[in-house]
Amino acid sequence: MADDNGARRGAAARRAAFGRPATRAEIEQFARALTAAYEVVGVQERRGRLTLDPLEDPAHLRLEYPPRVHSPKKFLFPNWEQLFRFRLGETVLLEADRAPVPRVIFGLHPCDLHAVGVLDQCLFEGEADTAYRAKRRASVLIGVECFPDEHCFCTSLGTDRVAEGFDLFVHRGGTDYRIQVGSPKGEVLLRRYAPEVEAREGEPISSQPPKPTARRLRFPVEALAPLLEEGYDHPIWQEIGARCLGCGTCTLLCPSCYCFTVEDRLHLDLGGGERVRTWDSCQFDQFARLSGGAEARADQADRQRHRFFRKYKYLWDRHRRTACVGCGRCSRECLAGIDPVDVLNRLFELRAGRESAAPPGGEYRPRLAEVVEVGPASAADRRLRLRLPEPVEVSPGRFVAVSVFGLGEAPFTVASAPGGGREVELVIREVGSLTRALHRLQPGDTVGVRGPFGTGFPLEEMAGADLLLVAGGLGMVVLRSLLLAVLARRRQFGRVQLLYGAANPEAFLFGEELRSWQRGGELDVRLIVDRSSGGWSGPHGDVTRLLRHLELDPGRTAAAVSGPAGMYRFVNPLLLDLGIAPERLYLNLERHMKCGLGKCGKCRINDLCVCECGPIFSYDRVRHLREAIER
Amino acid sequence: MKPRTGFFDFTGCEGCQLTVLNLEDELLELTELVEIAEFREVASGAGGELDLAFVEGSICSPQEEDRLRAIRARSRVLVALGACADTAGVNALSYADDLSALDAGVYGPGEPPRAAGYPRPLSAVVPVDHRIPGCPIDGREFLGVLQALVVGRIPELPPHPVCVECKLAELPCTFERGLLCLGPITRAGCRALCVEGGDRCRGCRGLVDNPREEPYFRILEEHGLTEEAILAELGVLHLSRRGGR
Repeated sequence: MADDNGARRGAAARRAAFGRPATRAEIEQFARALTAAYEVVGVQERRGRLTLDPLEDPAHLRLEYPPRVHSPKKFLFPNWEQLFRFRLGETVLLEADRAPVPRVIFGLHPCDLHAVGVLDQCLFEGEADTAYRAKRRASVLIGVECFPDEHCFCTSLGTDRVAEGFDLFVHRGGTDYRIQVGSPKGEVLLRRYAPEVEAREGEPISSQPPKPTARRLRFPVEALAPLLEEGYDHPIWQEIGARCLGCGTCTLLCPSCYCFTVEDRLHLDLGGGERVRTWDSCQFDQFARLSGGAEARADQADRQRHRFFRKYKYLWDRHRRTACVGCGRCSRECLAGIDPVDVLNRLFELRAGRESAAPPGGEYRPRLAEVVEVGPASAADRRLRLRLPEPVEVSPGRFVAVSVFGLGEAPFTVASAPGGGREVELVIREVGSLTRALHRLQPGDTVGVRGPFGTGFPLEEMAGADLLLVAGGLGMVVLRSLLLAVLARRRQFGRVQLLYGAANPEAFLFGEELRSWQRGGELDVRLIVDRSSGGWSGPHGDVTRLLRHLELDPGRTAAAVSGPAGMYRFVNPLLLDLGIAPERLYLNLERHMKCGLGKCGKCRINDLCVCECGPIFSYDRVRHLREAIER
Repeated sequence: MKPRTGFFDFTGCEGCQLTVLNLEDELLELTELVEIAEFREVASGAGGELDLAFVEGSICSPQEEDRLRAIRARSRVLVALGACADTAGVNALSYADDLSALDAGVYGPGEPPRAAGYPRPLSAVVPVDHRIPGCPIDGREFLGVLQALVVGRIPELPPHPVCVECKLAELPCTFERGLLCLGPITRAGCRALCVEGGDRCRGCRGLVDNPREEPYFRILEEHGLTEEAILAELGVLHLSRRGGR
């Protein structure tokens, strides 16, 4: 599958690709002619080694060379770069650096051209790095074909071919070459410095299949970011951290790693100096050391993980490209043998292994829970206390899926206090066959439970505030859980007011409990009913009536609203008018759902998945979603 | 006021002081920065209080101990100059032998002309403020440390290993030639001179602050080296003790 990516991008490379035929002698002549206006660098043998350096004699230019040669990063983003000079004296005088040398890099492999693309993306984003940009603009990039060795895995990342990002590209064509133009600058150079070649008719460049590489990812590149996301706490980081020497070879050789440090170099006479930047490495001690000595990433495992995340996840999340181009330089020269292909494939296998160890579909299989207590929650609704086989993390706003086998499964808001215990309390209103069955349960009976799922109230963010809770009907269930959480740490909150509307006085949930809290002075409860048949001395109407003449300090109030879908349309504007901040107005937006896993698609509010991001949302998070509030 | 500066030597080859003298281009500028009050290799000294003392060589005898203490007592800042002063350097090779056997080997039978002990780094005798590692020192690093002290900045040594130097110089890894190299745990700052010259790193600049010994020794074992061979290699420049001192 990994090769499909390569094939896809390769197809882009093939589209409209044609090149003008040229001989080796003509290419040498071209390189020689370019030296009139440019510093021409290319791969040549020097003291028994192949290096990319200024060409002494174009006859020595290698158009075919192994992937081991160091990358062109050293010219585009050099290890030693003067940012500016300064002179010390009466006044500090800052001098700009000289203009960069116009340079032709004659012979970049496709992976390295992709790496230049990564540098461009990272260094031009936001505040553009103009020191880099100046060098980049002064450089002409000429690509050449590459023949992968046993460390290359470009094909898995789709970087074995390149369709753009070069000025010229020299393809192999039988015994000769085909020069493909990739930019207007390349066209001009060819015309000026190799006019005979430029005058020739272009020939189509024959179809190029993905390059065969021995090393390859066993999964598509698109799976990398989620794989890492899930693998953040994976023991593999400890394992490679324990092997790593912290020598920085991987990042120094990486064609797209650009992290740097900046320091002042004083001249010996102390009359001035320069501010320079040099390559740094996330693998080094001191890279993330704070003044005072604390290490932001103290452990080598943290540093290796950071490197992998920067290479395969963070840039992908933003721009759908990996910062790694599969050139294999890091693994080729890592003394500890840390190989990204191995690491990533192992992460993948371990995950696949874990998944296959559990039976397929296990996430849909409920645990069996015992009913330990049943009782009335109101005249018509039942309270159900369940004991689960192991402790679960519930918090106000989260929900569980309850099954009665043969009838099905439905989500229910947890009504009990937060904590990591084994018991949860639910409120069941009889509306269909499943809830009817739940109403008939007795202590000792068994039901199925999955979850808890979802995201609840951000209690830590709400701490310190006055609370205004607005409940309608069954919406009280989640607010009861919230109230239990608040009462458990009552002193961390200011005033707590509950406005609660129900169809009739008999429909109030947790009536006795609310009254006792009111009596204890822990909260201010105000109730309202639509209708009553005597014996009700409170007001009639909907809950918005209770919002009139309300005393509150909007600046220090967080509000939570939970009720039938139609309620929000009326309550939200009133709360905002009162001055409640949109980010401190929390809504319980329950939706129909079947899986709780973000898959079934039923609970989506526009593009938001309620079972994962909700059901508790702050108003500012959903205000732009047309489906969030019933209109 | 230019800082009064002295250069001193103990047991060693004086190659580090020679490195300073070989900084021909910068030497005159150097004398603009500091007043060189004592430098036995150049001129006899005047004594007195010093702002900076650069001390070369290891300490091998009670007489040397006394002299070093006296230098320390009149110097505001004392800097260990080179491997012998910093870690005992190659002198520490003698640790492998019995002292009387060494004496007999050097001076013949009978009482040796003066009592000598095992060579020790300066820090075993007096507090050392800063150090310039290497056998010999790197002239540019010396100038950097000196300049930092003159302008009141804390001198810093590269914290990373020699591997960095090899990568920047585009040198193939010594291990690929089947040789044991101490580069991965040795402090950078030498531009990998020895590897560039075809040799391997023998660790003259001492260990990095945080040598990854466990993974390093595992790699050496994977390359078929025995513990004895590893310890012998570390012993050449006295690296077996953590921190190189």
